[in-house]
Amino acid sequence: MACNLNKKSMFVVFARFIIERPMNFNPESFWNKIPEQVKRLAILIVILFALFVVVRTVLVPSDFGEHGHFRASAVEEIASQEIRYAGQEICLDCHDDVVETRRVGFHRDVACEVCHGPAAGHIDDPEEVVLEAPRERGYCPLCHEYLPSRPTGFPQIVSASHNPIKPCISCHDPHDPVPPETPKECAACHATIARTKAISHHVYVDCTRCHEAPEEHRAHPREFRPTKPAAREFCGGCHAKDAPGEKGIPRVDLETHEARYVCWQCHYPHLPEAR
Amino acid sequence: MEEIVKHLTPLLKEITGYIYPNEIELHWGLLIVIYPYLTGLVAGAFILASLVKVFNVKEVQPTYRISLLTALAFLIVAPLPLLAHLGHPERSFEIFLTPNTSSAMAMFGFVYAWYLMAVLLLEIWFDYRRDIILWAEKESGWKKWMHKITSLFSSDISERALRFDRKAAKIITIIGIPSAFLLHGYVGFIFGSVKANPWWSSVLMPIVFLFSAIVSGIALVLLIYMIVTPLRKKNIDMACLNKMATFLFLAMIVDFSLEALDFVHRIYESEESIKILTQLVSGKLFSSLIVVQLLIGMLIPLGAIAAVKIFKWPDELKRLTYFLSAILVQVGIFSTRWNVVIGGQLFSKSFSGLTVYKTTFLGLEGLLVSLGLLLLPFIILYILFYVLPPWEEARAA
Repeated sequence: MACNLNKKSMFVVFARFIIERPMNFNPESFWNKIPEQVKRLAILIVILFALFVVVRTVLVPSDFGEHGHFRASAVEEIASQEIRYAGQEICLDCHDDVVETRRVGFHRDVACEVCHGPAAGHIDDPEEVVLEAPRERGYCPLCHEYLPSRPTGFPQIVSASHNPIKPCISCHDPHDPVPPETPKECAACHATIARTKAISHHVYVDCTRCHEAPEEHRAHPREFRPTKPAAREFCGGCHAKDAPGEKGIPRVDLETHEARYVCWQCHYPHLPEAR
Repeated sequence: MEEIVKHLTPLLKEITGYIYPNEIELHWGLLIVIYPYLTGLVAGAFILASLVKVFNVKEVQPTYRISLLTALAFLIVAPLPLLAHLGHPERSFEIFLTPNTSSAMAMFGFVYAWYLMAVLLLEIWFDYRRDIILWAEKESGWKKWMHKITSLFSSDISERALRFDRKAAKIITIIGIPSAFLLHGYVGFIFGSVKANPWWSSVLMPIVFLFSAIVSGIALVLLIYMIVTPLRKKNIDMACLNKMATFLFLAMIVDFSLEALDFVHRIYESEESIKILTQLVSGKLFSSLIVVQLLIGMLIPLGAIAAVKIFKWPDELKRLTYFLSAILVQVGIFSTRWNVVIGGQLFSKSFSGLTVYKTTFLGLEGLLVSLGLLLLPFIILYILFYVLPPWEEARAA
């Protein structure tokens, strides 16, 4: 019972607080109760906030945020810019012979405008706007200069030592860029592997010792692939305990040395000392 | 093109192993090292100030106002390295106009503004208001007007108004502690949330940043106090100095433990990046991480302060030890920032190669600008000391 009374009286106090206070609220006395410094600070804060709101209203474009965190009209502005590229499909209309040559060659994925530059003007007025092709040596090495990060098999040269003064197009047709003669060395295409192997203990092991490459691989590298050793015993040919060969070759007992794994799961054959 | 080749060729010679082409040159240089260093000093100095107001540590009272002004001077300079790095400082206000809530970096502007406007300036204002009013009454000329404007022309120094000031300053300090944590924790968060970088990506990053900030801030105020007091021909308060050294020591122990925890955790987890990080730490970062950060910046000052606490040394020797330790701590914490920012970009995301960082002398990202940015807070602090003298005897009677 007492508890109920207490609850009731608390409710009354609370109700009075909610209802009576706002009714008795006197803005003047409330303002007077605020310390002087807080009033001044409040005015400053209100000014700063108002300034922020004004600056925001004036400076933020009205169409900001319509589609996302950017100006909606920026899309139209960008779309209204002059179109400079034509796309490679339209080249076929006049240069069908060149397009056909390129379509079956290694440069089939290199669009015409990559080398010839933006072609929209040429499409509008072929007589007046004539496209050029780069003829100096500097252009092709942008893709074909040796760089370790390029994928293996991608033709790479060191331009300083690769026929230094000849322009690339004197030997290679850019529309069907096959080498004038079939590469004799694997290193012509597998540059990274060759450079890695050159500093390893396998430097004197010929590529053909481990890989059988059909003759056609040189002309059609993707269609005719070389073989790779498939069994532990192949490495064992040199590295097994009883294998013939020089003393210095590291040897293991094939039966006990990590028998569940194939050798190259742990050892990289082109640089076996790498960990 | 030629320019790029010319610029990158000397770097290429210093690269080891395999790295991607866009990793040869570091994107974040010396300026980005300075930025967390400066914000750290701000947060640390403020935490020291809060010891007086919130935790009632009476001994460090002489450094209360020095800490607040130090925090302000360094906070004003803190965003400048970012502006210099990004370029187009005239556009920087736009991040406030169109806030991008999904970008941690863009939201830092608000964290910064909150800390500057709602915490530091307000606390300094409430703490200094009475003195500014009284100074303005006695002064004449531009100084009078400057103080009048700073006090917002308020004039009420009744006991009731002053009581309110004290209460307000205390409440702001209480809000200020988590805000200071937020400010510098946020800097750590920006690095810690870079998922792709194993050197940065760690949930411990914000808290490691925070404690190193407290360490550097306390050490900085200790240094400033020890330099400024003799210059003013006053005696250094040894009780204050001893207390500051104690807090510095405690903060360093927590900081050291957290960094050690992070280190052990990385080694025990041994994620795929561990090999390259080991190479990094034992090679390119050896001198800056093991020698400067750990040995010179952490273990030697820790040992020195511990020795002061254990043995009863004379005051002169104590002062010398504190002073040298605080300098070493500054060098160490700067090195910490260097190791995080530069170290995190020295290894390739392929985890199989390392690049190199070379500072230029001139240019916006160069050494000269960086030194200028490190010097600027002290110039601002000098002006602040002149305008708002933090000394006890300057308090208006």
